[in-house]
Amino acid sequence: MKRVLLVAVREFVVTVSNRAFIVGLLVMPVLIATFAVLGPRLFNFRDFKVEGDVRIIDPTGLVVPQLRTALDARRISARRAEVTQRALQNAPPVVRDLAGNRGSQAIQTALGPVPELRLEELPRNADIQKEKTWLLENDEEHKHIALIAIHPNAVLPAAGELEYGTYDLFVPANLDDRSDTEIQQSLREALISARGEAQSLNRERINAIIQVPRIRSVTVTAGDERQTVRGFNIALPVSVAALLFIGVMTGGQALLTSTVEEKSNRVIEVLLSAVSPMELMAGKLIGQMAVSLLVLALYIAMGLTVLTSLSMFGLFNPWLILYVLIFFIIMYLVFGSLMMAVGAAVNEMREAQGLMMPLMLILMIPWILWMPISRNPNSLSSIGLSFLPPVNTFAMLLRMASNAPPPWWQVWLSIAIGVGSAIGAIWFAAKVFRIGLLMYGKPPNFATLIRWARSA
Amino acid sequence: MEAAIVLKGVTKAFGRTKAVENLDLTMPGGGLYGFIGPNGAGKTTSIRMIMSILFPDSGELSVLGYKSAMEAKDRIGYLPEERGLYRKMHVGAFLSYMGKLKGVADSGLQKRVETALESVGLGGTARKRCEELSKGMMQKVQFLAATIHKPDLLILDEPFSGLDPVSSRLLRELVLAEHKRGAAILFSTHVMQHAEEICDNVIMIHQGRKVLDERINTIRRQYDPRRIQFDPLDAGADISPLRGLPDVERIDFSEGSYEILLREGADPANAMSRIVQTVTPARIEVSRPQLEDVFIKLVSGGEYSSESLEQLRAGLTDNTAKAAAI
Repeated sequence: MKRVLLVAVREFVVTVSNRAFIVGLLVMPVLIATFAVLGPRLFNFRDFKVEGDVRIIDPTGLVVPQLRTALDARRISARRAEVTQRALQNAPPVVRDLAGNRGSQAIQTALGPVPELRLEELPRNADIQKEKTWLLENDEEHKHIALIAIHPNAVLPAAGELEYGTYDLFVPANLDDRSDTEIQQSLREALISARGEAQSLNRERINAIIQVPRIRSVTVTAGDERQTVRGFNIALPVSVAALLFIGVMTGGQALLTSTVEEKSNRVIEVLLSAVSPMELMAGKLIGQMAVSLLVLALYIAMGLTVLTSLSMFGLFNPWLILYVLIFFIIMYLVFGSLMMAVGAAVNEMREAQGLMMPLMLILMIPWILWMPISRNPNSLSSIGLSFLPPVNTFAMLLRMASNAPPPWWQVWLSIAIGVGSAIGAIWFAAKVFRIGLLMYGKPPNFATLIRWARSA
Repeated sequence: MEAAIVLKGVTKAFGRTKAVENLDLTMPGGGLYGFIGPNGAGKTTSIRMIMSILFPDSGELSVLGYKSAMEAKDRIGYLPEERGLYRKMHVGAFLSYMGKLKGVADSGLQKRVETALESVGLGGTARKRCEELSKGMMQKVQFLAATIHKPDLLILDEPFSGLDPVSSRLLRELVLAEHKRGAAILFSTHVMQHAEEICDNVIMIHQGRKVLDERINTIRRQYDPRRIQFDPLDAGADISPLRGLPDVERIDFSEGSYEILLREGADPANAMSRIVQTVTPARIEVSRPQLEDVFIKLVSGGEYSSESLEQLRAGLTDNTAKAAAI
């Protein structure tokens, strides 16, 4: 056991003191922080201003006055204020509190300057085909950005009809979609107002009638109840699965490379003079598992900090951390031992690609199944997958993190199956490891690995 | 004294190929044994079985009195043929790590590493990364890694393979120093000359089977000299009368010297007396039998063509050393 620990400690120390590991560990949080801080500055949306000339053919004569109002800078500002208010209403309380007035201003600023669109009305009988050429004229001072043709029945339906007509919008090539959106939003508002007036309805009255504010549902838990955070039930399973994936990949990849390195350096047989292949394998597995647990601990701590700061910790079941660790250890032992066996079987990293492909494909399966399992955690396929090694760990964790967790007996049955598969994988890997370490020359295929396992 | 290694009827096959077949071997404690044979003879497989890296299909073995080397690893030093270092690791840290794996206590380990490095002229390299060392330095560190725990049994698999003459000499001195300290040493080589220079005993193996297990002196006595090196005093002397002597089977001439091959059972002393009386010599001496010749004699047995025997002889010669000498 002492030798196993010595190997494990060396694996751990060498890996965590490696510059690449430190950079890799820090790179994700740094990237997120960098994007959050520098992103808005690098991709400065605020500099863009929607402006230019818009021509309109309005056979009804009722839309243009309303459109002029809708395009008024004060009206656009008011519309934006409503959007901002709705966005803040949907945010968690702590975000609303933090944002306050400054948050509202920040969203307004992010939306950019108020558009400046000059509307020019054309004669009602103007030729649309002829007017389209106006869009192609290049005027640096007054950009021609849209030609609108209102349908004759856009404000009042044709006799005997219930449905309203609409409009045609013609734009030049390469028009920014923000200009397109701004024009269409203004047209929508103008048409509703025009239709209302045509029916002798007051616009404020219409607004009041159609206004049903979206409220936030309340999640009731055993301990308390709190306002539902939208997206949490989707984000949690995928975060948990990502943790598992990061942990397994960190340890598995390190095991593969260190084994290949020891073999290609010809240091392996020197080690085998001091430790048995089993001791070496166990030491490496434990050492890299400690590295992965360190990485997981950091990510879990970061996640919990974010949840706490957003006052969302109560939505999270702390027992889930324990199950993440249990399923991680099972998953790690399965994939780590198999990746180490691959490392022992090949002479260099390049040769490992072919043998790694099936393992990587298996690791990708949960990402394909994430949404179906999260949405239907108790469907037959979800239940079946949570008992099917080696994806059962991912599938069960996705189910546990969903809004309809499985019964405890299913969880522990899945753990038992996982432990069984880990023992099987270690048994297979140990046999391949023992033979592969001393094999040089032609890299083996899967058939050869199975033959080694049977003969060892 | 307790036997260092005992093998009884050990057999190991890889698929249909028998790498080692029914091998018996006993090496006493403190012995210095050469394990010799051409490439592919089964030396490395035998050593790996002794080290419990591989396990025999049948037969028994014991190492330092234990049923398996696993139980005595802390008392065994092993320098494999395929040997390397952790390239990024510091020399001192690597030797300490190997020492700890071999059961050396933490206290005094640092000092032991420094002393060991100084003993091979590598003082001051403890803080260097292994990859910064020259090839010769790396080989010294590898030897130290195998002996840092002062083993009772040292097993060296082709230790001279790929070494230049200077490194070869240094390694020979280090091996002899370990033997002087009291370690039993088994080293394998396919170059007979190395075994002749160092060993007390040799074990010859061919195609997985032991063909000889004897003390060097006994071999020299047993495989009695039948070759006499002869240079006539007069370089132009007629040596044809020698061919008529009853003890002489054949006379060859090469590299300015005659080699007289005696008949089977001939007494070299009598033969030399007759030769001297027939042609006055400038030099006459009995050739010491080379292990190479003994090996060839043992394995040939009429089964090999002359071409096969030449190939076998080439495989038992240190081509590297020859090339270096040239």
